[in-house]
Amino acid sequence: MALRALVGVKRVIDYAVKVRVKPDKTGVVTDGVKHSMNPFCEIAVEEAVRLKEKKIVSEIIAVSCGPQQCQETIRTALAMGADRGIHVDVSAKDSETLGPFQVSKILAALAKKENANMVILGKQAIDDDCNQTGQMTAALLDWPQATFASEVKVEGDKLTVVREIDGGLETISMNLPAVVTADLRLNEPRYATLPNIMKAKKKKIESVKPADLGVDTASRIQILSVEDPPQRQAGVKVETVEDLVSKLKESGCI
Amino acid sequence: MHAACRTLLRPLSLHFALSIRRQTGATYLHSFILQHTEVVTNHLTPELKLLLLTPRCKYWHVRPEHWPYGDPYWAIYWPGGQAMARYLLDNPEVVRHKQILDLGSGCGAAAIAAKIGGASYVLANDIHPVAGAALTLNCKLNGLQPLPFLSENIIGVDTSHWDLIVLGDMFYDEQLADGLHQWLRRCIDQHGTTVLIGDPGRGHFIDHPIQKQLWKMAEYSLPESSKQENYGLTCTAVWKYQP
Repeated sequence: MALRALVGVKRVIDYAVKVRVKPDKTGVVTDGVKHSMNPFCEIAVEEAVRLKEKKIVSEIIAVSCGPQQCQETIRTALAMGADRGIHVDVSAKDSETLGPFQVSKILAALAKKENANMVILGKQAIDDDCNQTGQMTAALLDWPQATFASEVKVEGDKLTVVREIDGGLETISMNLPAVVTADLRLNEPRYATLPNIMKAKKKKIESVKPADLGVDTASRIQILSVEDPPQRQAGVKVETVEDLVSKLKESGCI
Repeated sequence: MHAACRTLLRPLSLHFALSIRRQTGATYLHSFILQHTEVVTNHLTPELKLLLLTPRCKYWHVRPEHWPYGDPYWAIYWPGGQAMARYLLDNPEVVRHKQILDLGSGCGAAAIAAKIGGASYVLANDIHPVAGAALTLNCKLNGLQPLPFLSENIIGVDTSHWDLIVLGDMFYDEQLADGLHQWLRRCIDQHGTTVLIGDPGRGHFIDHPIQKQLWKMAEYSLPESSKQENYGLTCTAVWKYQP
């Protein structure tokens, strides 16, 4: 059975960028900041491409929700080996309030529309750290889910996934269709090389609006405040071991 | 000191002026290709030596917007072209004494394979002008006289008589695929041309209506290097188009 995989790719602030909070504390500064694909989404794309190379998956559709620039993220997925893309066009302003619930509804609608057998997502995004989209997508579709995957095997319509859990690994088996979320150790994503980038330019990216999918993207969450983590306090220098011991006694550490 | 500098600079600036004048000429293109590609044989047709872009070449690592002469489609041996050239080398009776058009010739491998197989006339056509220079160099590298080359877009225009039209990896672009389909149909209707298509199963080819009128002639596993250049693809095939 050749499967169709839907892979979510989120455009986030690049992992190497020092994130700054906006002065009005409503969010973080995104203007003029380097963005790239969420690293967990890269792992999800890589796993889909590996399944395609094993001839288990026949088509990979990369989906991203957000402003026009998301097409660059989709293009990266196409250069990694995805077959076509779907850009769910949400304005930059509306994207600020686009959370896991809204994205799950979009992904669930697309999974049905495209007759996907498998939805592969990153376990979480490095910007909001929510870790909810995969779970909610599975719930909305009423499909089984395998979160925090560190190994994925497909045999017929049976999916076996090794999951990273507290203190060890758990192996579970389920029927397809299913939702899988990728953990860090699932694989090491490949780099897009020149011939792949060249051919990816010609792959199709379809653009749809959430309303076309019958999805209401209104947010149910109000952001009250976004704060920087507390600054680390300056330390104290001590000259001798005796000084150190008395300081430790003073602070009640010993 | 100054005088010494000037004498050093003079031959340099002369060289610079000459190189600018030469930039549009065939000689410049030849030296550019020779400088920025390497001879490769680890593909489906190892008997053909081809000048190609590899990870050991500078432009492999340069951002696309800095590439001179646009995207170097001519410098990659695409899986569809590899299948086509392999098929022609293995089945010389398909090309012997025939008039052949290699459409979207790229590095020229299929055209070269057709000539080696005994074709009476081979014309390579590619809208990328650098492909012509690459074809000439690759012909020489394989002991052939340079094959004729045409850089005009003949899809939809020219329907001269060809016994055989071969095309490799031309269904990667949706718009191109549609125009191509109509035109190939016309060539077959008007001249009874045989059409062979090499494709590794790219999206626009698999989903195209042309699929219903294709017969698979041969299938090949892709060598490791080609898998690395075409993520997600593992094999390639030659199809006969019979509407």
